Amino acid sequence: MQTPVFLDHLPDVNTVTGEKPARYRLARNKALLELMLDRDTTWTVRRNCPACGGDCAKSKNFSQTLLEFQRCSDCNTIYAQRVPSQQTLDRLRLDIISRKETGDTGNTREFEYISLMNWISLTEARLQRPLDKVVDIRFASHATAWPESTRRLSHNRSWDFLPLSLENAGFDNIGERLRNIAPRAVLMPTELDRVADPEALVRTIKHSVPAGTVIFIASSCADGLEYEILGADSPSFIPLDRLTVFSIKGFEALCAKVRLSVLEISTPGRLDAVILDRYFKTTENSNIPFWSGFFREADQNRLHDLQILLQRSLRSGVLRFVLET
Amino acid sequence: MTLRVAIVGYGKMGRIRHEAMERHGGFEVVVACDTSQDPDANFAMVTDPLAVYDFNPDIIVCSVPNMMIPDVVCTALERGKHVFSEKPPGRSSDDVRRMIAAERAAQDRVLKFGFNHRVHDAIEEAKKLIDAGTMGELYFMRGVYGKAGGPDYAQSWRNDPAQSGGGILIDQGIHMLDLFQMFAGRFEDVQSYVQRNFWTDVPVEDNAFALMKNADGIVASVHSSATQWQHTFRLELYLRNGFVSVDGILSASGSYGTEVLTVALNRLDTTGNPIPNPESQELRFTEDKSWDKEVAEFYDAVVKEEPLRCGTSQQALDVMELVERIYSADPEWHRILQDQTPLPDQAI
Repeated sequence: MQTPVFLDHLPDVNTVTGEKPARYRLARNKALLELMLDRDTTWTVRRNCPACGGDCAKSKNFSQTLLEFQRCSDCNTIYAQRVPSQQTLDRLRLDIISRKETGDTGNTREFEYISLMNWISLTEARLQRPLDKVVDIRFASHATAWPESTRRLSHNRSWDFLPLSLENAGFDNIGERLRNIAPRAVLMPTELDRVADPEALVRTIKHSVPAGTVIFIASSCADGLEYEILGADSPSFIPLDRLTVFSIKGFEALCAKVRLSVLEISTPGRLDAVILDRYFKTTENSNIPFWSGFFREADQNRLHDLQILLQRSLRSGVLRFVLET
Repeated sequence: MTLRVAIVGYGKMGRIRHEAMERHGGFEVVVACDTSQDPDANFAMVTDPLAVYDFNPDIIVCSVPNMMIPDVVCTALERGKHVFSEKPPGRSSDDVRRMIAAERAAQDRVLKFGFNHRVHDAIEEAKKLIDAGTMGELYFMRGVYGKAGGPDYAQSWRNDPAQSGGGILIDQGIHMLDLFQMFAGRFEDVQSYVQRNFWTDVPVEDNAFALMKNADGIVASVHSSATQWQHTFRLELYLRNGFVSVDGILSASGSYGTEVLTVALNRLDTTGNPIPNPESQELRFTEDKSWDKEVAEFYDAVVKEEPLRCGTSQQALDVMELVERIYSADPEWHRILQDQTPLPDQAI
């Protein structure tokens, strides 16, 4: 198994703390509050960690936007104590997409897209087998310019995009489409932390593709310094988008349970350092030993060094797994 | 099938090979030859290299100084033994030609040289990435391989041209040249500067710089140094669609650091031109498996008759010819070499 480090420039913190992300955060939290006030909403209570199966009675809890979360004492995964149905979650996501709160504008996310395409290309080269037929699971719904980027930049590879849609709520349709397409690779960069039952989704994929299919998964990562220090106070912690924040250990446990081979683990997150930098430089009474002083005196070079160290230590706020069925 | 092994030269390298063969499990060392005896050895030890044949070995592992290699190798092949020999393959390309003649005469015997850098994990990963075609056409390579002399630098046989055939280039830089030829084939067009800067009373070079071009126009530059006070291994390959580099190489001393493979594919702007400083992936390798891979390949060549990929006699000849081209491409160094006493007869 390999643990690559993805080296790049530090991003602008406004991609998380700017006005547009703030509007998105408010909209999602408003949707969550309305859901909680709606007596007809059905919630499933989680009694065990969705990653490692650990008893939630032993976990530590906290709440964000009135939704209670647990941090698993066994594997460090963060998870919502209760989750709405997948259909409800999909409807809320489609609502916000239709209001263009998440839509990308032109090429603003092109570097992110290129990173995903290069991830597949370099993995393909290392594995020494063609990954020429790829299915994207729902990423295109969030990133409207993504399909065009694949057409322009991802040569020698065919792409199928499985969108988020109300007609296709749940995972049955994903399984059916995957069986019909029989891809060589599956890309799922935005689903794991947003779905009600991530294990069911991973199982659906595993049982719907041919043996030897390579699965590229990305998600938020509970081991990231951002979540370790700020927890629910992190600006990227939007409850409806972070129903399950896997730790590395937690997601490895889930993969073992589902019998998926892990080929590669990385934490290519680039935002921990700039988010923490913003937090410590702007928040009153943010007095944490070592870190407060570290960030108050940090310049861009120090932040960059820290972010690379976090990646090398598998401690940044985003995880990527390459799996094989 | 267990192969009976005789190790001729039971110093540092001979022991490294022995340990790798033990890990493999398909070998049994029955005898070793060295000037000093190992009291802890649980196999026979002799001082006469010809005495190893009394133990009826299947293979000879040759871990002796460069000047002795051709005799040990040729004798073994003539006696019908398979041979695994350390690099450099003798002191000159003529030495290699002599061994190739013996190999041909021995017909189905295996002759492998220990160019282990080819099978370091980071190098193998780099090769995979390039062979996949994703990176595009290879444009140029840069290599730096250097160390801070070594213990007893002036007294070491490695720096006695009569025994070694040259200095840091033939001893260490040869690995980098071998890698260049693995990635890009033979380099015929060579310019060089060969220098003796720090150890001026030692009759071999302590620095060699070369700029080379092959028939396809791929350019490579190498700097092999014994005055690289910070031990360094760095290989860079630049291709049409990005770059690959290997920093550090795992070694017995550990002084060259872990192996770090960095690879990047370019990001293109809307006009199709590369944007500077692409996102790169860094992979670290912390375990040196090269010795085990070499031994396994040798075993498979002998027992399963699988063709050798690394350390063939042709590769050995190609790299020794390149070493000689670099030495002779610097007119000043060429004159110094010609003024030196001719190499004594090979003897063992």
